[in-house]
Amino acid sequence: MQHMLQPASATSRSRTALIFVLPLMFLVIGLALRFIAFRVAQPEADPTGFIQSMCRWDCGWYVKMAQTGYDPFPIPSRINAGNWAFFPFYPLLVGAIRLVLPFPTIVTASIVSLLTTYAAAVVAWPLFERNLRAFTLYAAYLLSGPFAFYFTSFFTEPMFVLTMTVVFVMLKRSNYLGAGLATVLLSATRIVGVFATLSLIVQAALDHRTSTGSWRGLIGAFLKRPNLLLAIFIAPLGLFAYMAFLNFYIGDGLAFQHTQRAWGRPFGNPIFFVWQGLTAWPNTGFWPTSSQWLAGAAVLGFVLTLVLAWRRQWAQALFAFVSLTLPLFAGLASVIRFTAAMVPITVLAAQLLASRRWLFALSLLGIIALGYVIPLAWLGNNVALV
Amino acid sequence: MSLLSDPKPGSPRFVATYGAVALLALIELVILWQAIHPNVPEAYRAYYIDHTTTCMRQPVTGAYTMGITIDFRSGGGDTTELRPCGWEGPVGNGMHLLGETARLRFATGTTTQAMTLTLEMTADDIEGMSDQRVVVSANGTPVGTTTIPRAQTVTVPFAIPAGIAAETGLLDIILDVPDAVRSRPGDSNTRKRSIKLTEATLTPN
Repeated sequence: MQHMLQPASATSRSRTALIFVLPLMFLVIGLALRFIAFRVAQPEADPTGFIQSMCRWDCGWYVKMAQTGYDPFPIPSRINAGNWAFFPFYPLLVGAIRLVLPFPTIVTASIVSLLTTYAAAVVAWPLFERNLRAFTLYAAYLLSGPFAFYFTSFFTEPMFVLTMTVVFVMLKRSNYLGAGLATVLLSATRIVGVFATLSLIVQAALDHRTSTGSWRGLIGAFLKRPNLLLAIFIAPLGLFAYMAFLNFYIGDGLAFQHTQRAWGRPFGNPIFFVWQGLTAWPNTGFWPTSSQWLAGAAVLGFVLTLVLAWRRQWAQALFAFVSLTLPLFAGLASVIRFTAAMVPITVLAAQLLASRRWLFALSLLGIIALGYVIPLAWLGNNVALV
Repeated sequence: MSLLSDPKPGSPRFVATYGAVALLALIELVILWQAIHPNVPEAYRAYYIDHTTTCMRQPVTGAYTMGITIDFRSGGGDTTELRPCGWEGPVGNGMHLLGETARLRFATGTTTQAMTLTLEMTADDIEGMSDQRVVVSANGTPVGTTTIPRAQTVTVPFAIPAGIAAETGLLDIILDVPDAVRSRPGDSNTRKRSIKLTEATLTPN
C-alpha cells in the first residue's frame, strides 16, 4: 500500500511545485521580454528607466494617487478631472507599502504588481480542473503575455484579477462568505467589481437547484441561510465604503461617476459604438485602425462570454457580460484592457487553446512572441492600448 | 462548528447573523441616501451633476498688464492665469474653445475707464459645421456678438463699458458659442468644438 501511494504522492508534489514554479518562470521571462522591447524601442534611454517607461496613461494617475491620495474640491491643479474616478483599494495599498519601502513609487508599485499577479496566477489553479496545459498558458498570458504590462506596472488590473480569481475559486467551492469577502476588495478596486455580487447570488441559486433538483423553495432556502445573506450584503461593501468616503470628503458619494464628465466621454448604445469601431476602416493599407482593434476586443470578449453561457458557467458569464457591457456605454476606450483582465474569459481562452497539444504549443509560442511585440506598441503610445 | 456553516434557525448565532445582515443593509441604505442627496458647492453641482454648464470656473488671478497682446498659440507664453475654464491647448494655431462656453479673466485694477477687448479668433474646420457665433459678455453685461465663417480668422473689438470692473478689479469675460458642434456622434457636450482663440488684447480707451 505504501509502495502504491508513493508515485501518486510524488506526482502530486511535483504538480504542486509546478503550480508555484511555472508562474515564477513566466514572471522572469516576461520581465526579460519587456526589457528587450524597451531597449529596442528606446535604445538611447537609460536602462534604469525601464520601469518608468512602462508606466503610461492611467498609470500616472495611480502614481500620483499613491503619493498624495484623493483630490479635494476645488482640485488644486485647477483641472476638472478629479481622481475620484479611480477606485481606492490598489493605489492606496501601494501608497501604504511605499511608506515602508525605500524605492520610488513606480518601482514599489511594479514590485507589488508583479507579486500580486504572480499570486493571481497561483490561486487560479483550482479553476483549471487539474489541466496543467491550460494553467501554463494562463500563467504565461498573465506574466509574460501581450498584456502583461498592465499586470506588472501600476494599473488596478493586478488586484482586479487577483480578487476576481479568489471570488470565482470561492464560488466554485460554494464558499459564499469567502466569495463575499473577496468581492469587498474587488468592488473597492474597480466599480464593475461590485457585480460579482450578482454572480454570488446566481451561483447560490444554481447550487440550490443542483442539490434539490428544483427552483422551488429558493427564496425560503436563502432566508434559512443567514451566512449566505451576510455574504450578499458584505459583498458590495467596498463600493459603499468608497461612496461613504466621497460623501464625507467631497460631499458627493457618486463623485466617481460624476467626474467622468470631465473626461468628455461619449454616452450611447454599446452596439452602436462597437459597430462604429468595426467600420472605422483605415484610410490607407489594410492594417486595422485603433477603433477596429478595440471593437474587435469587445466582440471577442462577448463571443467568449457566450461560450461561458453555452458551457452553463452562468455566474462567470453574467459577470463577464455586465463588466464588459457597462463601460461600452461610454465608448470603446480601454476595452482591450478591460477584456484582457476579465478572468472568466481569459481562463476559458486558456482552456480552449490547451485542448490540443499542437494548439497549446502554438499558443504558448504566440503568447511569448506577442509578449515582446505588444509592449513595443505600448512604448510607442498606441492609443488602442490605453 | 465552522463559522462557514449556517447556524440553526432560532439559535443565538442565527439571530446574531441576521442582526449583522440588517445592520449592513441599514448602513448601505444610509450611504445610498447620502449619495443621491449630494451636499456640494454650486459650481460643482452645475458642472458635474446638473450639466448646466460645460465651463467650471477655476480660481485664476487674471494677472495681466493692460495693453499687452496675449498670444494663445503654442510658444506664446503661459496663459493659465487668464483662463478660468473652457479652453484646451495651446496647439500650434491657437487655444481650442472646448464645450459651449469659455471664460477669460483680466485683473484690471479698480479702473473706471472704458476699455476695448480685441479678440483674434479662428473658426474650426469640421465637416458639416456652420458659421460660428460668439456671444461675448463682460462681468455679466453683453458686449457683442460676432459670427466667424468656417475656417476663417477674424479680429473683433468689443467695447467694455466704463466702471464695469471698478468694484472687484476683475474683468470676467464669457464667450458663449451656441453653434458649437460635436465632432463625433455621441460625444459629450464638454468636447464640442467651435473656435480657436489666437490673440487677446485689453486696452483702456
